[in-house]
Amino acid sequence: MMPSSAYDIVVVGSGPAGQKAAIQGAKAGKKVVLIEQEQGIGGNCVYRGTIPSKTLRETALQFERLKRSNEVFEGRLRLDLPMTVLLHRLDEVVKAHECYMADQLARNGVTYRHGRARLVSPHEVQLETIDGASQTLLAETIVLATGSRPCSIPEVPVDHEHVLDSDSILSMIYLPRSLTVLGGGPIACEYASTFALLGVEVTLIDRAKSPLPFMDSEIVSVFQRGLERQGGRFYLGQTVTEVAWDGVSSVVARLANGMVVKSEKMLVALGRQPNIEELNLEAAGLSLDEKGLLPVNDHGQTVVPHIYAAGDMLGRPPALASQAMEDGRRAVSQALGLPVGDSANQVPIGIYTIPEIASIGLDEEQAAARYRGPLVGRAPFTEIAKGQITGACDGLLKLVTDPSGERLLGVQIVGENATELIHLGQMALQDGANIDRFIDTIFGFPTFAEAYRVAALDILGQRRKRQELAKAA
Amino acid sequence: MSGELPQATTPVPTDPLEQLLIERIRKGAIELPLLPQVASRILAMVYDPDAEAAKLAALIHQDQALAAHVIRIANSPAYMTRNPVVSLQHAVSMLGMNLMSELAFSASIKGSAFKVPGWDDEVKGLWHYSLASGAYAKEIARMRRFNVESAYLCGLLHGIGRPVVLQTLVALSKEQGTTLSKELVHQLLDGYYIQVGLLVADEWGLPPPVVESIGFHSDYNYAKTAKQECMTTCLAGRMAKHFLDPEALDEATLREHVVFADLNLYPKDVDALLAHKDKIRAVVEAMPL
Repeated sequence: MMPSSAYDIVVVGSGPAGQKAAIQGAKAGKKVVLIEQEQGIGGNCVYRGTIPSKTLRETALQFERLKRSNEVFEGRLRLDLPMTVLLHRLDEVVKAHECYMADQLARNGVTYRHGRARLVSPHEVQLETIDGASQTLLAETIVLATGSRPCSIPEVPVDHEHVLDSDSILSMIYLPRSLTVLGGGPIACEYASTFALLGVEVTLIDRAKSPLPFMDSEIVSVFQRGLERQGGRFYLGQTVTEVAWDGVSSVVARLANGMVVKSEKMLVALGRQPNIEELNLEAAGLSLDEKGLLPVNDHGQTVVPHIYAAGDMLGRPPALASQAMEDGRRAVSQALGLPVGDSANQVPIGIYTIPEIASIGLDEEQAAARYRGPLVGRAPFTEIAKGQITGACDGLLKLVTDPSGERLLGVQIVGENATELIHLGQMALQDGANIDRFIDTIFGFPTFAEAYRVAALDILGQRRKRQELAKAA
Repeated sequence: MSGELPQATTPVPTDPLEQLLIERIRKGAIELPLLPQVASRILAMVYDPDAEAAKLAALIHQDQALAAHVIRIANSPAYMTRNPVVSLQHAVSMLGMNLMSELAFSASIKGSAFKVPGWDDEVKGLWHYSLASGAYAKEIARMRRFNVESAYLCGLLHGIGRPVVLQTLVALSKEQGTTLSKELVHQLLDGYYIQVGLLVADEWGLPPPVVESIGFHSDYNYAKTAKQECMTTCLAGRMAKHFLDPEALDEATLREHVVFADLNLYPKDVDALLAHKDKIRAVVEAMPL
């Protein structure tokens, strides 16, 4: 046992939440240590999640751009392409990410320790290094940001060979000919659309009646139609009763309605569960609620006031890296008595399906539940010159306003660059902008941002009609 | 080969047999075992996404001895399914194509590479080491979420140079009319199995991750495209050594190796891997020489 060390803040986990928590603490002049059990900084986001999946997605998009130009290039993707070829840029991307994160931590004076952490008392964290040595770290404040891992259920045994989860899907040697995706959340839909675009025969099965049920249904239907055009199939409202490798060449999924779905590989993406078992929470006086989650308040503070939790380990869907970063910053700001701000109310949701989906604020259904007759302006990308030029007409931007058609309540977008475009809406929402702002603003031409103006004009038309009707009445 | 091993200063060999061995390696005059045709086609099938189970069964059928052998293995405790396997088609459907490919490939190479009359115990030891390495490689890959499919072959074949060096030494000693001491054999196997293994890999046209695992399993930092496979193979080999002869490589020494840290395996993970001993034993016993 090494002698103990004292820190103002001990952060467990170096994913988006942990990193931002550590940097926030260090910027406030505190002595901070960041503990990570994996070899590199960044957590699953960098090594098995966001970065690798988006790198593969980028390859799929490049392929799609080539396909759009099929009058110039004649060709198709080889189905037996090794995955390493499709992920050829991954090592560079990960290394660059690692470098910048390590620099950022070093620049801010954050101490980084590689090892596994567990609580031994409310103020003590035991660090076990890879060689088995242990050290006790004393902490004024503890931030737990250990992330999450794919959920597993007994009916679907994941062997990481035929039946894979989102941690192992990219370790396949070859692009499979067919893939069944279990689940309808962001991870399931992102991989389903990426693999479909790469020519894999994709079948998505989910219990819910619609994929991405927390998103605007009109927006989701655009994604759904897009995937079907790529040859993808949806079996929705279906329960899987059994999954087994047939021992020959297929993974066989049996559904409750008697249907049997066979594919070469299966991706199980039934949500994520928090990494909390190894933390020894009881030693610090913490316990889990009936859902198996660690209860926290709006700032991530647990019942032990100096212990906070942030990011995916809180188990709040959808697990977004941007939300996790905000959780980390917020937790440490609260712990140090710094202003917390209200930006957490306006974190955009970005889903990297093909086409992309993004949302901020209230959608049509949520607005209708709160207001009587909210207005919705639509801008299909077919009406946007940039959409026509790039061939990315598969898109729709929706602006949701209050019944007067003036106050912006939310923005939902599906289509190319949706996850970038959403930030215009985010700024407008944060500034409490009037819808006319989009009409008075001159956007560059041709750009996708023009969709804001088109949707705002749609609302303007509806507003006038409503005003005329009101006058007539 | 993607990486380059560091150039070590090789001492001038004092033993005439070693000199002859070096000369043969340099001239490429080592008599390499032929990859049996069936094994070669099975290997192609493992890496062929269009391969079908029926083709595999038909392929194994071509070699009656191999077919019988595979059915016997399929019925061994390591693989036995609920009902006894009575036909090759049944074996393929019960065990799965990948596992059948592994079994058939392993069974077919042992007859060609692992045959050195008069040195049965050594060859048996090398064979068990190969099988245990392959089995451990799969468990390590599964734990680390690396590719499980290619791990077995990397583990199984990384020491393929050893029986070939042994065959060569036995042939050389016969030619020279000298006696081979076990000590010298072990020393030369350790010294030359990688070089000879790479010659075998070239001759057999083994897939790139397997070739790198042969060349760089003990110096995995030099591997460029298959470092994970090389690290996995390095650890699998060490675990196999410990499993087969815990006195020669005790658990404390095994745990000291840096490859555990490089694979980010904590003591608890190592405990979990070591707990697979019964499973590994069953795999080794299922396929005797």
